[in-house]
Amino acid sequence: MIAIVGVGETIPVRVSQKDVRALCLEASLAAIADAGLNCADVDGIVTDAGIMPGSVPADWMAAQLGIPLGFSASLSYGGAGIVAAPMLAEMAIRSGRAKAVLFYFGVDWGSRPGGPYAFHDAYPAKRVFEKPYGFSAQPAYFGLWARRYMHEYGLTDDDLADLVIAQRANALRHGGGQVTKALDREGYFASRMIADPLRAADCCLITDGAGAYLMSSAERARDCRKPPVFVRGVGFASIPVSGDDVFTQPSPLLVTPAAAEASRQARGRAGLSLKDVDFAEIYDCFSISCLMQIEDLGFCAKGEAAGFIRERGIGIDGGLPVNTHGGLLSYSYRLGIEHMVEAVRQLRGEAGAAQVMGAQVGLVGGFSPPDYAVALLGR
Amino acid sequence: MVRPEEFRPFFAALARDRLAFPRCAQCGRFHWYPMPLCPFCRGSQIVWTGVAGLGRVFSWTVVRHDFDPVLRPPYVVALVEFDDAPGVRLVTNLIDAAFEPLAIGMAVAAVFPAAGERVLFRPVR
Repeated sequence: MIAIVGVGETIPVRVSQKDVRALCLEASLAAIADAGLNCADVDGIVTDAGIMPGSVPADWMAAQLGIPLGFSASLSYGGAGIVAAPMLAEMAIRSGRAKAVLFYFGVDWGSRPGGPYAFHDAYPAKRVFEKPYGFSAQPAYFGLWARRYMHEYGLTDDDLADLVIAQRANALRHGGGQVTKALDREGYFASRMIADPLRAADCCLITDGAGAYLMSSAERARDCRKPPVFVRGVGFASIPVSGDDVFTQPSPLLVTPAAAEASRQARGRAGLSLKDVDFAEIYDCFSISCLMQIEDLGFCAKGEAAGFIRERGIGIDGGLPVNTHGGLLSYSYRLGIEHMVEAVRQLRGEAGAAQVMGAQVGLVGGFSPPDYAVALLGR
Repeated sequence: MVRPEEFRPFFAALARDRLAFPRCAQCGRFHWYPMPLCPFCRGSQIVWTGVAGLGRVFSWTVVRHDFDPVLRPPYVVALVEFDDAPGVRLVTNLIDAAFEPLAIGMAVAAVFPAAGERVLFRPVR
């Protein structure tokens, strides 16, 4: 087993004065210092396979840290890559190819022209068959999903409001995120419509920022500065549907691709069940996608997430605290690196006013369709 | 940038005010988007098959935020399914949709604008 021994992040902002390489470096140095280690102790790097290679490549990071890399690897892009990274680090550490593996990830989608909306221009069929119809922004994809979900399962605007308001309350308790304004039901319904039925409040933030975490063997972790957080089990799964097709063509459409399988794998490897999970950090790019993942990860049956949220509660003191920092909706949108950082802080008891009392096991879900990853972390 | 070869028959059909989708000669199933191999059986013989141009709305959204450099909001994006091409969901814009509420399952018919390589849909009363 491996452990996460250090975490770091930049303060999330809409537009940073620093470029994304500087942001990733800052987060990485913070993670290494958090572990009580030096750059020279790091001998492996994992990052995502889609976004970092073009903006903050591992060779640049290794050069800045002054480390001759013994191991470097990537799996998936964005969300799933961020959560699946411990799987690669474990392979390297267990086989003796690395002792301390750094993962970093950052985005400058607050300041980069086109922001997140430019991302899908890289897909040939999307560019040819979708963009001419004004269908190139993620809120429109998830607006279609949400409308269809409402039709099939009777979801209401009030149900979406429940999730958004609960996460905002979590964000205010945490206090470190981009949004500092409270949100009540009236405020939710006053939020401007972006792509029906999704309002601005249903859409994630846009952020310039980075995060990082450092992994080592469980034995070595005990010598580090902070209490180790063990990687109990990681699941990674995908469906054979291309990124061009995944938002519109799969049948059935209202299932988070590969989430159930990734969840099953992670639980199997950890020897844990969802009943053991004390909190969950779930890829909430939109209210509707978080709600669907609550179902697809197995916390409740399909179509029942709204009732689950209402009855069980997803606030810090609820039955299943979800996105204890406020999530991508109300903390920052760095594609889920903030979810890994927050889960580690929760399990160390460092979450301050947002601390889930007695948290022993946390689940992190990372989504980058058609891929999904689940990490079960524990004290 | 060169448009993938397998995309071209769609636009060749549009130029004749027709709608056609790729269908595998081996397993008979339609797929979308166009790709070199049938995603269901890996068959490489793809036959473009004309459809009547009548569909049903699978889902829709009104885009109200100014995302697009060309289209000005608000505009309606719909995902349309076809009885004569099961498995295909086409992204399009609904036009003339103001006279009745948008609804999933609504019957729509293809409209071919004179300019541009696009196919739009309008509700069928």
